[in-house]
Amino acid sequence: MAATDIAVVGYAQTPSTRRARESEVQLLVPIVTEALNRAGLDRREVGFTCAGSCDYLTGGPFAFVSNLEAAGAWPPISESHVEMDGAWALYEAWVRLQHGDIDTALVFGSGKSSPSQPEEMWAQQLDPYYLAPLGVDPGSLAGIQARALIDSGKATERDFAEIVVRSRAKAMDNPNAQLAGEYTVEQLLDEPYLRAPLRKHDFPPISDGAVAVVLARGDKARALCDRPAWIRGLDHRIEVHQPGMRDLTSSSSTTLAARKAGFDGGPLDVIELSSTFSPQEIILREALGLDADANVNPSGGPLAANPVMATGLVRIAEVASRIVEGSAGRGLAHATGGQVLQHNLVCLMEGD
Amino acid sequence: MTDVSTPKEFLVMNHLVSLSYSEELTPILERYVDALIDGRIVGHKCSKCGRVYVPGKGYCPICVIETTDADEFQVSDHGTVTGFTIITPVAYYGQTETEPFVYASVLLDGSSGNLGGQDIIGVPHDQLHSGMRVRAVWKSKDQRSADGVSNRGWGSVASVIDAFEWTGEPDADRSVYEEHIF
Repeated sequence: MAATDIAVVGYAQTPSTRRARESEVQLLVPIVTEALNRAGLDRREVGFTCAGSCDYLTGGPFAFVSNLEAAGAWPPISESHVEMDGAWALYEAWVRLQHGDIDTALVFGSGKSSPSQPEEMWAQQLDPYYLAPLGVDPGSLAGIQARALIDSGKATERDFAEIVVRSRAKAMDNPNAQLAGEYTVEQLLDEPYLRAPLRKHDFPPISDGAVAVVLARGDKARALCDRPAWIRGLDHRIEVHQPGMRDLTSSSSTTLAARKAGFDGGPLDVIELSSTFSPQEIILREALGLDADANVNPSGGPLAANPVMATGLVRIAEVASRIVEGSAGRGLAHATGGQVLQHNLVCLMEGD
Repeated sequence: MTDVSTPKEFLVMNHLVSLSYSEELTPILERYVDALIDGRIVGHKCSKCGRVYVPGKGYCPICVIETTDADEFQVSDHGTVTGFTIITPVAYYGQTETEPFVYASVLLDGSSGNLGGQDIIGVPHDQLHSGMRVRAVWKSKDQRSADGVSNRGWGSVASVIDAFEWTGEPDADRSVYEEHIF
């Protein structure tokens, strides 16, 4: 039985930028401190620390070890790392808290995509026999996914553009967003294809950024936060590695994760989706059974800021912050890993 | 049933991966390199605990507070050997050394951490020991460069300092280096 008395009680994130001059650890130091301060927790009281990052982004072997300096690892602390989005670091911390012997955890996710060539690097995430040697990049796979979606009759290029217009308009209220502004659908549809039927604006920006979240359990959560964002359910599911063996127009793993997280289709005040390419919002909305007027990605979502390895944890922080600050009662955050929505995590949160 | 006595045929595929990265040094490392080329070794001194990191990190990892240019602190180019090894090179791809060479850690006066991987000259290998006092042998100014300094966390002085030489001074007291043997 999963514990239901674990909550987000602190959070902080950096603005996303195309190229941060500081080191990844320098991005983390102020936000780890800010997240702990918001929770009113001394770092020496933290029971467990877990981080998500990817050394391939900056090409620094063992970069994740120096990232730990942002948590203050002396005297020695209890910690772990996932080579995954920080949302999975949160998952590990959530499991660890259920052991019941500690009350608090610090989670962070960080990534500097700017030094690498993402289309070159992420191809290595695919199988080493058929796809990686071809250099199949995430944008090309997302293009295939978008084409399948159009061919299935579920969406049009205009739908993609509408999502981008909405994302960038909402991002105008988000000081951490990288791409924001007023655009029209016609304006966007006039742009050339980058990976047909996708245009550049259907892609996420290349971002540098980081996010930190503080979790607490039971009475400790209540003591640290007036209105904790209780994690009512958290689950992640994965599909096969080979994209050719999946129906790319749907996301059965998201549907399953949502069900296992206890999402019953009830009302949601806020939903943050890791829809890193615009067509994926359509797929995820369908997988979760969301209404057309659902409040999806009020932050602007990953199309406005995509600090890889933090993007999913940012979704959780965005939903949690709205619950803690009182503007939302119940919300759902989604994170993804792998390519074209291979691996999906759903986090259902609620205020008292 | 597969006949196990028949040798299996293996298909071998080569997959060579090349990834390219481009980056600017962080502003702190830029200042560090500029100082090195100028003949100075600088780091950041934590305003809380007083530890000096060379090069500066922009924060103190012990106190977890930020440090800035205002915390810049120049350390000496004289120091103490804390530990060393003599490497007898074996031939492997990329190995350019042919003779046994020194790989020593030097604690510069004023710094809280070792400078790793330094050559020590002016003394036979069999007389090397922890506590030896040494000084930097700088390259001539026109030969100094930023090569080898990267954002990857292994800030080096190899592009400005050729080696450290024994000063001939008496050894440092054990208390100077006993917490830094590496």
